Amino acid sequence: MLRIEKLNKSYGRQLVLQDLTLQIGAGEIYGLLGPNGAGKTTTINIICNLLRADSGVIAINNQPVSNATKPLIGVAPQENLLYKTLSCEENLNFFAQIYGLRGLHRRQQVQASLAAVNLTERAKSPVATLSGGMQRRMNLAIALVHQPKLVILDEPTTGLDIEARYEIWELILQLQRQGITILLTTHLLDEAERLCQRIGILKNGRLLAEGSLAELRQRIPAQEILVVQTQDEERAIERAGKWGFIARRYGNQLAFWLPEHLELKEIVSRFEGIPVDSIARQPVRLEHIYIEFTDKNNA
Amino acid sequence: MKYWHETLAVAQRILIELLRRRRSLVFWSTFPISVLLLNGCIFAERAKLSMAQAFAIAAPLTLVGAALFFSCLGGSVAIVVAEREQQTLKRLFISPLSGTSYFLGMFLAHSCIGIGQTLLVYIVAGFWGARFNGSLLLGGTIIFLSIISYVGLGFILGTNLARRTEDVNSLVAAFGVPLLILGGAFVPAFLFPKTLLRIAKLDPIYHMSEALLGVSASGDDLSSIAWHFWFLLGFAILMVGGGWLFYRRMLIVERRL
Repeated sequence: MLRIEKLNKSYGRQLVLQDLTLQIGAGEIYGLLGPNGAGKTTTINIICNLLRADSGVIAINNQPVSNATKPLIGVAPQENLLYKTLSCEENLNFFAQIYGLRGLHRRQQVQASLAAVNLTERAKSPVATLSGGMQRRMNLAIALVHQPKLVILDEPTTGLDIEARYEIWELILQLQRQGITILLTTHLLDEAERLCQRIGILKNGRLLAEGSLAELRQRIPAQEILVVQTQDEERAIERAGKWGFIARRYGNQLAFWLPEHLELKEIVSRFEGIPVDSIARQPVRLEHIYIEFTDKNNA
Repeated sequence: MKYWHETLAVAQRILIELLRRRRSLVFWSTFPISVLLLNGCIFAERAKLSMAQAFAIAAPLTLVGAALFFSCLGGSVAIVVAEREQQTLKRLFISPLSGTSYFLGMFLAHSCIGIGQTLLVYIVAGFWGARFNGSLLLGGTIIFLSIISYVGLGFILGTNLARRTEDVNSLVAAFGVPLLILGGAFVPAFLFPKTLLRIAKLDPIYHMSEALLGVSASGDDLSSIAWHFWFLLGFAILMVGGGWLFYRRMLIVERRL
């Protein structure tokens, strides 16, 4: 559905994208992760034909990106870009007209989009009267009204409470069930973990790693993460090193990568003689992989 | 057909938004009526004219000099600025909407507002006995050229000089009000001293006002108002061209998510 090959973009001397290559298959949810300034928004801008790449190929449904590919894409930007004095229906009607939908088909699509985001009952309400979560759903409805093949969701749940977040997640999964391809950017790693079939980690314009969560897990030599609380971190690190545990810091937490599965008894015995307050075992999660890739690149 | 549907969509949206803000609608109606009444009464008193004659002069001056200026110029600046502030312009950049349709939609919406104001002004002036004496086609053309000029100028100002809603007021105060006075919107140009009149001839509002005044009050034909008409036509073309260029420039700067 989306093919990006050796995409390069720079602003003056600053390289923003460097040989970015990725492909997203039809009906797939692809998560593009990366810290601020990684190049995610630039990539989206190029896909939407708002920016031109310096070099490289970018095609949607095998058509090179141009104004003609705009109707193939639906974008839900980070901010809720809505006409606040207009009702939900009027907002959708306006954008449906702009995307070339006419007559009965337009009216049907407006109703279908409202139904898709569970806002049928608020069709006549001015957008300004909707809650933050509802406005975010409206933002998504506008991206869907013209039945795009590829939907780009730029941080779709940022700033939402957990209930609204669940609603959006369910909506995204529903879209996927309808065969829509989704490119999702997010800073919420559990969101990516929950929704995406494949994930790409971008930093300084380079794709550092890509694959399913299972594939990405294999890129780091850890079966489990051990979070240890101790007054004597130096000794704990030294001891863990002897057993082949790799030490890492996640925020203020001291953690170790376990290269193999171990029983709790065995783990405790390996820290014998060190005043350990607590030991917690965690599965390897996307956040561990993400930090590994993005920090390594820093170093 | 694509352009037509897009133009219609933009115009419809602007008009719905205006209708939603009922208070603004009331103000847009009150403003030309109050200016017309004041102008009519002042002209009748100071120029020793009958009420019918005074309102026949006041109506075109009030319409193109004051009413259309604030609704079409102020309105189009305000719409562009509001779209930038709310960032809905970004949504439009993502969509297949063309810049031409956006401008035409804005023009169509303001034409509807302008027609409404024209009817309002001439109905009120008609109540005092004033009549539109010239060609309706020529009068309509002058009004449409004035609307195009104002919308074009609104694009230029809105896309470049005004970034926030507050900027709109200062822009209108800085550029608009002096041009209005010099254009004869409040004091007819025949009362101007010679030096001021020479300067006024550089003011497009003066030519709009004089052209419509000639057609509406005196029943002039195109040959009698040729100089004002061609000046207005040239200005309208310039403003549309300028508006287009400045819009393109804004696209280059702001076309990002």
